[in-house]
Amino acid sequence: MKLEGTNSLPAPVETVWKTINDPEALRRCTPGLKELKEVGPDTYQATLQIGVAAVKGTYAGTLAITDKRAPAHYKISLDGSGGAGFMKGEGIVDLEPHGDGTLLKWAGDIQIGGLIAGVGQRMLGGIGKMLIGQFFKCLEDYVGGGT
Amino acid sequence: MSPHVGARITRNEDPALLRGRGLFVDDVRLPGMVCAAVLRSPHAHARINRIDARRALAVPGVLAVFTHADLGELGGPLPKLIPHPALTYHKTQEPLASTVARFVGEPVAFVVAEDRYLAEDALDLIAVDYTPLPVVESLQEAAVPGAPLVHADMPNNVCAHYTQRVGDVERSFARAAHRFRERLVIDRGTSSPLETRGVVASWQPQTRQLDIWDSTQAPIPIRNGLAAMFHLPQAGVRVVAPDVGGGFGCKVMMFYPEEILVPMAALRLARPVKWIEDRREHFVATNQEREQIHEAEIAVDDDGLILGVRTTFLYDAGAYCPYGIIVPIVAGTTLPGPYRIAHYHCEFRAIFTNKTPVSPYRGAGRPHGVFVMERLLDRAAGELGLDRAEIRRRNLIQPNEFPYDVGVIYQDNAPLQYDSGDYPRCLSRAADMIDYARWGARQQANRAAGRYLGLGIACYVEGTGIGPYEGSRVNVEPSGKVFVATGVGTQGQGHMTVFAQIVADVLGVDPRDVSVRTGDTTAFGWGTGTFASRAGVVAGTAVSLAAEAVREKTRLVAASLLEARPDEIELEHGRAFVRGAPARSLLLGEVAAASNPLRFTMPRDWEGPGLEATRYFAPPRGTFSNGVHACIVEVDPETGMLRVRRYVVVHDCGRVLNPLILDGQIHGGVAQGLGGAVWEKLVYDAQGQPLATTFMDYLLPTSEEVPPLEVGHEETPTPLNPLGVKGAGEAGVIPVAAAVAQAVEDALQPFGVHITEMPLSPNRVRQLVAEARRSL
Repeated sequence: MKLEGTNSLPAPVETVWKTINDPEALRRCTPGLKELKEVGPDTYQATLQIGVAAVKGTYAGTLAITDKRAPAHYKISLDGSGGAGFMKGEGIVDLEPHGDGTLLKWAGDIQIGGLIAGVGQRMLGGIGKMLIGQFFKCLEDYVGGGT
Repeated sequence: MSPHVGARITRNEDPALLRGRGLFVDDVRLPGMVCAAVLRSPHAHARINRIDARRALAVPGVLAVFTHADLGELGGPLPKLIPHPALTYHKTQEPLASTVARFVGEPVAFVVAEDRYLAEDALDLIAVDYTPLPVVESLQEAAVPGAPLVHADMPNNVCAHYTQRVGDVERSFARAAHRFRERLVIDRGTSSPLETRGVVASWQPQTRQLDIWDSTQAPIPIRNGLAAMFHLPQAGVRVVAPDVGGGFGCKVMMFYPEEILVPMAALRLARPVKWIEDRREHFVATNQEREQIHEAEIAVDDDGLILGVRTTFLYDAGAYCPYGIIVPIVAGTTLPGPYRIAHYHCEFRAIFTNKTPVSPYRGAGRPHGVFVMERLLDRAAGELGLDRAEIRRRNLIQPNEFPYDVGVIYQDNAPLQYDSGDYPRCLSRAADMIDYARWGARQQANRAAGRYLGLGIACYVEGTGIGPYEGSRVNVEPSGKVFVATGVGTQGQGHMTVFAQIVADVLGVDPRDVSVRTGDTTAFGWGTGTFASRAGVVAGTAVSLAAEAVREKTRLVAASLLEARPDEIELEHGRAFVRGAPARSLLLGEVAAASNPLRFTMPRDWEGPGLEATRYFAPPRGTFSNGVHACIVEVDPETGMLRVRRYVVVHDCGRVLNPLILDGQIHGGVAQGLGGAVWEKLVYDAQGQPLATTFMDYLLPTSEEVPPLEVGHEETPTPLNPLGVKGAGEAGVIPVAAAVAQAVEDALQPFGVHITEMPLSPNRVRQLVAEARRSL
């Protein structure tokens, strides 16, 4: 399932770049994140708890940031699996100056399988957008609070 | 005494079933019984790197977690059923996947715990490390060279390539005045029996006896297979298919992994083990059917007479093909139907995809063949300006042409030869019943009122009653009650009644005094299973032959007691009496008691004690039923919603054994046919994830959608068995998609909608109307 969008953040590109590379910001803003443990440079062990439709599940996996071109671009990959199935996502993030702030463009592809796919696939688009919306709203507050 | 065969009598099995006193597998509860649950692959294609079950095993109450590594010699691929020379890659799955899982739902681990809750919770604690592999979901894409491979040791995904030819198709097409080509797509469905699969196994070490209760259509082959796998004598394995809540083909598969895993666990743990499939599992773990893509072409002359037909089609086998290529063979051999087709070319490739395996589901390829043939005729009629019923009438095989050789080899490996029938009569009766002659005026009147109604009329021939054989034992006890045993199990078809009717007529007793036992290998140990609309034909005939032998024995014994000649003895109302002297009579039970003397001598010509006989019937080839369905549907072009206003079935399955039961078969079949034609669709995403795994997403027709059916029975007996009967189990489902497609096309004719696919969901109908409007 492909999703994309843009968000305006009230901070310069450099600040936003720092924030989206800050484990603390990721920890605070990723919806459903229960645990984020750095296991290497830009690689984390993550535990997520997310409900899709009637299926609530805990997914253990990894979160990695690659293809970094500071301060404008990176790729974030997440995969996790658990009793309710598996999820796998990849997102590209691009930052551009926009007035005093930053325009953040993102495009992602989420794949789910197992129980969550069979029962929740039709809801996934809406839920994905909602979760990503929450993520950026939180980020917005985070950088807003930081300036 | 009026004959019971042919009478509309209620079913012997119903009083118990309606009172909730049946015995289904889940009703089997044994002391010390434990429960199993299956961990299934969430990936459509993935390498299994590692399975760690330590956390699951640490939970109190979890008795065992089995993975492939624990299976030993049982871990090899499951048996390959029904090989065929054209089937070059007969791939079957392992009971638990060892290194690669190839469809969502493939078993990976098997947990046994004190109860089902613990077993299911334990599944969540098993960590499996997968590496996802490229997935091929679409049948069309899987057939393209370079597609991801479902089985890495194959050069492509083609497991079989088979061609049958009759006459000179190229020449017939070259000389034809008209040729019409269609690409026709039939999508995937599932048979959704009310009762999902289930297995209970119990091992008694003291007697070395393995007892299995299995919701299967084939208990005897299951017993034979299990005996071989577990190195037990066949007599030491009892398989019972108790009351079975529907099978429709998906339960004639042998073996499903659980049918081996449950007995294995029972043997290793020395505890009775139960596994009941839940509905969501059923949507991925029980075989499915129907997906085919046909490139078909018809050649006709100016009068609409068929000169030749050819089809080249793809058949989706799913990830494995345990059941071989029966379904596409049946599709290709059903396609010619009731029509004279001198030149026919049928070619298919069976293709692996990363989806649940496919095996026969009620109709088993027949609905596909009929859909293709009828769509081609509709196209030809439309192009030539011929009436739809008329083009069919002109091409029908005539009653004086039987036996009629179609020219191809059928699924039973015998030449396809129609034995009897009156095809024109069925067509004209169906046309009369639906008031075809006045349809044009009715349709116009409705259109003027803004309502879009369409009529469909479709013909079919159904291969039934194939071999190899079935058998039956009939015996009369001193109580006067008659006991019948046969290997052909019942999944709701009414065997307890129909076989009782047959015996009742032969022995002159009341059908309620005849008790029929099926599906228990200790009651009768020879047989193949319930499939291909064959129980009434093959087992019914065996029952009849056994009852006749018992009648002769009864005459022999009664004659000696009544001091008459055997040919003077008549059987009626539960008594044996001397013809012309009804006072000289004995109760049947008295004859039975006398046939088993305690002392003195026994006449040599009795050949043994008791009023008992076992007989087998092995038909030389299948017998062919036929029929015509006609329906009127109303379509709302704005919403795509479809309502079936009328549904007519004219059906000829030879001599009718019980019209009430036959009606039931037809009704159920039509309901399933309508489901497959309109609502039921197993949607998969591009990654092979099934998206319709609940009845919220997979829509079964309910009494709201299925209209009252109008059924007319014709009876053209077959010469192939003494009862004159043909099979009827699949008739209801076979031409429904074809009739509905034609009716929808007829209803939406003002928009120029052309139907080339099944099912036709409201969404899809709406899209088709929108597309047609754009191109107008």
